Formats: sequence, C-alpha cells, structure tokens
Amino acid sequence: MATTKTSESTANVKVDTAAIRAREQVTARRVMFAGSGEPLALIGAMVVLIIIFSILNPRFATIENLQNVLNQASLPLIIGLGATLVILIGSIDLSVEGVMGAAGVAFVLLSANSRGGQDMGIWAWILPLALAAALGATSGLIYTMLRVPSFIVTLGMWFVGFGIATILYGTDAYPELTDDTVTLWAAKINFGLPNVFWVAAIFTVIVALVIRYTRFGRVALAVGNNEEIARSNGMPIIKNKIFIFIVAGLFSGLAGILATMQMGGTSNHIGDGYLFITIPAVVIGGTSLGGGKGGVFRTAIGVLLLTILNNGLVLAGVSPSYQSAVSGAILVVAIVAAAWPQRGRLRIAK
Amino acid sequence: MSLSSKLTKVVSVAAAATLLLAGCTSTAGGSSNAAPLKKEDLVFVCSVINTTNPYFAANIEGCQTLGDKLGIPVEIVDAQGSSQTEISKIQAILAKGKKAVVFVNTVASSDAPVIVDAVKAAGGYVTIWWNKPDELNPADIGNNFVAFQKHSGVDSGKCTASMLSKAIGEEGGIIALPGVEDSTTSQTRVAGLKEELATNFPNVKVLDIRPSNWDPQLAYKNSKDLIAKYGDQIKGVWTADDGMQIGAMQAFEEAGLLDKVKFVSDGLYPPTVEAMKAHKGNDAIVGETFHRGYMASAIGLYTAYLAATGEIDPSTLPAEKRDSMFKISCVTPDNIDEFLKWDGDVAGWVDTLIANGPWDTDPVPLVAGGPEVIKPEYK
Repeated sequence: MATTKTSESTANVKVDTAAIRAREQVTARRVMFAGSGEPLALIGAMVVLIIIFSILNPRFATIENLQNVLNQASLPLIIGLGATLVILIGSIDLSVEGVMGAAGVAFVLLSANSRGGQDMGIWAWILPLALAAALGATSGLIYTMLRVPSFIVTLGMWFVGFGIATILYGTDAYPELTDDTVTLWAAKINFGLPNVFWVAAIFTVIVALVIRYTRFGRVALAVGNNEEIARSNGMPIIKNKIFIFIVAGLFSGLAGILATMQMGGTSNHIGDGYLFITIPAVVIGGTSLGGGKGGVFRTAIGVLLLTILNNGLVLAGVSPSYQSAVSGAILVVAIVAAAWPQRGRLRIAK
Repeated sequence: MSLSSKLTKVVSVAAAATLLLAGCTSTAGGSSNAAPLKKEDLVFVCSVINTTNPYFAANIEGCQTLGDKLGIPVEIVDAQGSSQTEISKIQAILAKGKKAVVFVNTVASSDAPVIVDAVKAAGGYVTIWWNKPDELNPADIGNNFVAFQKHSGVDSGKCTASMLSKAIGEEGGIIALPGVEDSTTSQTRVAGLKEELATNFPNVKVLDIRPSNWDPQLAYKNSKDLIAKYGDQIKGVWTADDGMQIGAMQAFEEAGLLDKVKFVSDGLYPPTVEAMKAHKGNDAIVGETFHRGYMASAIGLYTAYLAATGEIDPSTLPAEKRDSMFKISCVTPDNIDEFLKWDGDVAGWVDTLIANGPWDTDPVPLVAGGPEVIKPEYK
C-alpha cells in the first residue's frame, strides 16, 4: 500500500530541473573557489605591503629589486616544496639544514675547487643529490618502519647530515668553486628573471601537478586528512610516506647545491637559518600543520610574503635593531587580516 | 612524610655538603702559591668554537705546533658553536687528572667565568682569548687565570676604514656589514670605523649599517638589498670579517659592480689572499688586517705554560700582561707578502715565540692593556 502511495506522489510532483541545475552550479562554483579565499587574502596583504614599501622607497618597485626578491625567495621555495609535501601528510622535516650542508660540501668538493681535486662533471650533481635522497630515505624508513615520530627522526638526521658535512669539510681551507660560470649561474638573468627562480618555479608547477593529478598526490592528501581511512581503503601509505621524505631530501640537497653556487663556495654551515624561514612560510601560506590541507602555491605565497617583508624593511630604512620586531608585528597583522573572512568556519585555533 | 622521602632528603643534603667540601678543597689546590708543575704532568687543552672556520682551524694548528715543540700532548676541544659543549668537554679533560694548560677561544663572554673556575679548581692554568665579561679580571681570580688576550677591535676598524676611504678618493657612500649585533668584537670594529671616518674622513658617509651575524649568506642577502636601495651610490663595502666579505663580493659581482666598488675587512682568510693576489675585480679588496689564529693560540698557551712551570709569576706581572691587547697590522695589496711569509713557516714562528716570549714576538707584540673601551659617541 505504502509503495503504491509513494509512486503516485512521485508521479504527481513536477520536477523543476532548471532550479536543480542552478543549485548544482552554485555548489560547483563554491567547491571550485572553496579554500581560495585565504590565499587571495594573503596576496591582498602582499599587494598592500608592496604599495606601502613603494611609497616609502620608490626603488622598491624596480625591476632590479623584483629580480633581487625572486632570487632571495628561490631557495626557501625549493626547500618549501619538500616541506609542504611532508607537512601535507601531517609530519615534519627538521633535517633541512643538515642535508643542505652535506649536499653543499659534497658538491663543492666534487666540482673544480680551490682545494684541488678533479672536477667530476655530472657526478658532482648526482652524488650529492643521492646523498640527500639517502638521508631523506633513512628518515622515512625510521619514521614508518620503527614508528618514531618524524619530529625526532628528522631532528636526528639534521645532525647526521651536519656531521657528514663536517667530516667531508675537514679542517682544510674554505673550498671555493673556481669556475665563474658555475658561481654566477644562479643569479644570471634569463627571460627577465634569475635562473635560480626559474628552477624554483618549474619545480613548483611540477609538484603542484603531481599533488593535483596523480595517485601519489591524492594518497598524500588522504593520509594527511585521515590516515586510518586511507589505510582501510588499501592505499600504499608507507610507500607514499617514504617517497615523500626522499623527495624532501632531494629538494633540500638541491637547495644546498644552489646555495653553494650562489656563495661561490661553502662550509658545513651553508644551510644555517633556512629551516626557520621555510616552515613558517609553509604555514603562513595556509598549509595545515595537521596535514591534509594546503599546497605548494600557498607555500610560494608564504615565501614571497616573508621575502618581500624583509627586503622592504631594509629598503624602507628600518633600523636593524627594530627590524625583527617590526617584521614579526607586520606578519601577525597580515595573517590576521588574511584569515579574517574565514574566522567563523569552525577553525578552532589551539 | 614517608620514610623514603625523608631518606631522600637526608641523602640529598649529604651529597650537597660533600660536593661543597670537595669544591673548597680543590679550589685551595689552585691558589697562587702552588708549586711549579712538572712538564711531564702537563697536557695542553685547546678549545675552539668550531673546527671548520679558517681562523679556528689556525688556532688548532698553533696549539699543536707549540705542543710538538715543547713535547706536551695536546687535546682539542671542538665546542661546535655551543657554550654547553665547550664547558662540558673542558671539564671532562680536567677530570682526567693531568694538569691542564688551557687556551680557550670562548663561544660567549659568559663562558669565561665558568671555565676559569673549573680550571682553577683542578689546579690548571688558563688563558682566555677574545671574549670575557669586562668585570672578570685575571688579577682578581689568581694565578690560575693567567691572562686575557685579544687584538684591538677599534684598531682593526680604524685601519680598514682608513684604507677604504683613501681607495674611494676620500668621499662618497659606503655600507657596513658588522657581525652579530651584541658581539664585543664586532662592536669595537664598528666603533673604530666610525671614529676614523669622523676624525679623518668627514666626506665619507656610511649609507647603511646592516649586521650580518658573521654569516656569508646573510651578508650576501643584505648586500643585494642594499644594492637595490642605493645602486651606484655605494663606493665601498666594509665588513667585520672576511667570511661576510665573501658573501658581499658575490652580491656585487652578480650585479656587475665588483670592479667599481672597493672592499675592506678583517682576517685575511685564504680566499681573501687568493682574491687579492689574483687582483679580483680590478683590485676590489684594498685593505685587510693581519692577525692569525695560530699566533693567538700559541701566545695564549705559551703564557699559561710559563705560569704553570713557574717561569713567570702572574701575580707580579704588570696589568697589561694580564689583560692584554696585541698588535694588529694593516695589510694592502702592496705589502701583503710581508705578512704571508709567516703562514708558510708556522713552526719557525713558534720558535721565535719561544725565544722572545709571549709579549715581544713580531708581528704581534703586546701594544696595550685592556679592557678595550668604546667611546660612547661611536657606539
């Protein structure tokens, strides 16, 4: 009886397909722009900073300074790509500076340098990157197989990397690269921008595409979002995590090599200070430390915001004694302003 | 209160009392009336901030060469940039039993009192180089704190400022990249720069001062920003050490300005020597200062050694030999070879040190007593 009633009522209702389609379109649009509010607001904050700094010093808005800013943003961005992947799965990689040191020192010693020795050509790139990947793989294996928190493992690998750099460096004189084409390559301008920035930009696009369009990227997001569900769906979680740590190691290694090229030589300290530019930049960009949410374009925005802030303060003539405090204060204001429209959406800050 | 917690309290009090008594006893052993130590009972301890910086590597070379000459074993302490590591490693060596003759290039000023106390308690002898609090006076501590020694930072700053000003025609803008902002060494060098410009080169203007933390990469970044800000107004670059000069020169080279700008700095590190000899960037480096890590450590250790073996009695020395400043020389591309000859024969130089004593050896004789004072107007 009930079945007959239902089928009758269904037959009597006129279906308004146009309204449903309109609603679907609104939903689709909402989905498309969901999550883009925050990055857009950060870009807005960045534009405001650019306008203020340009008024304070007209030299800020020159092509030369743009090239300078992009040159300075490139290495944190390259490291940030690996850091973003690691943070997306809800982990953290603190080994950045040690891996940079190990790869940087290995690179300079395998290239034509002031300590003598043979130029190993392409192997001067391959071996340091392999070393960096091995350090990343070790972190990943210990983290996944022995179930040690990534914070602890990568803290240890930071010092392992730094130790390798120190041993490789030894106590001889500071090794300098003797080939000027290598030392000047990173800052050389091509198509209006420095080479090192092109490297960072190309890798940013590649990693963004990988996250968006490959199974590897989707598994990473799923792991960060809810590892239990990802596991019960049969996703290759362990393989994915280890691979992400290898990729993060490779990016840190690449940054170590590029930093060495920029300096025209290196010591084991070449990575010093990069960790604490990169991780804040990733988080400021909006990638959640809890995992599952974020992306590399957000990281790029975070890196640019921090770089512009520091560059602008120097050009505006802010005293070095005040710079750190002023920079911190502006950053907090910029982030609060950018996050303001999203404040009501159950984003509980702990 | 339970029995176990009472017991814990009693044991803690007893342990504290034992430690206190032990401390008093061993401190008494280090009094200024201690008998001279035998050479075979000694060990040289050479503590450096890290082992990769060229200056600290040279510190080690000086200690080892002196140890070889005098037939005394040398223990190296690598502080790895950490005061904690430095102090605990020194304490571990002191605990081994041999009488320590110690040279310390302190990580931070505040390490000096702790190290001095530990060495005194163990009956050893120590000379501190570069960093100590002004109020810590060797004469107040006793013979075990033999001396504090350094090169004058103000003289270094004056010397480099003068050479840079002359090289840019005594007028125009320069930028300055000091080290860590609260480092005494950096502050004194900056004070020397300011004083020399104010006194002798009033038309040379410091466009900007950006502390670069002794870090070549930060110096590189700051230089890039300052090039964007001032462009060709920058005629000269002053850096507080050669490490930062490497970063600054790289930035100017990338901007195509290396052959138009002049550079001065402190330290005459190997890459700087090579750049000067190769006339890099149209003789971009116009001035340096000469002082050497191996000279500092050998002078420091030798002074402590003389006190340990009773050849000098620190309590009878004049004030400038307890808190000392040694000569720093100005180096130009023309006279650089006069100074580099020492680097080629470190063992030969140590022979002259043993022959002439710690205060009269060229090219770094004692020139003044400390503490070094910065005039308020140049802070």
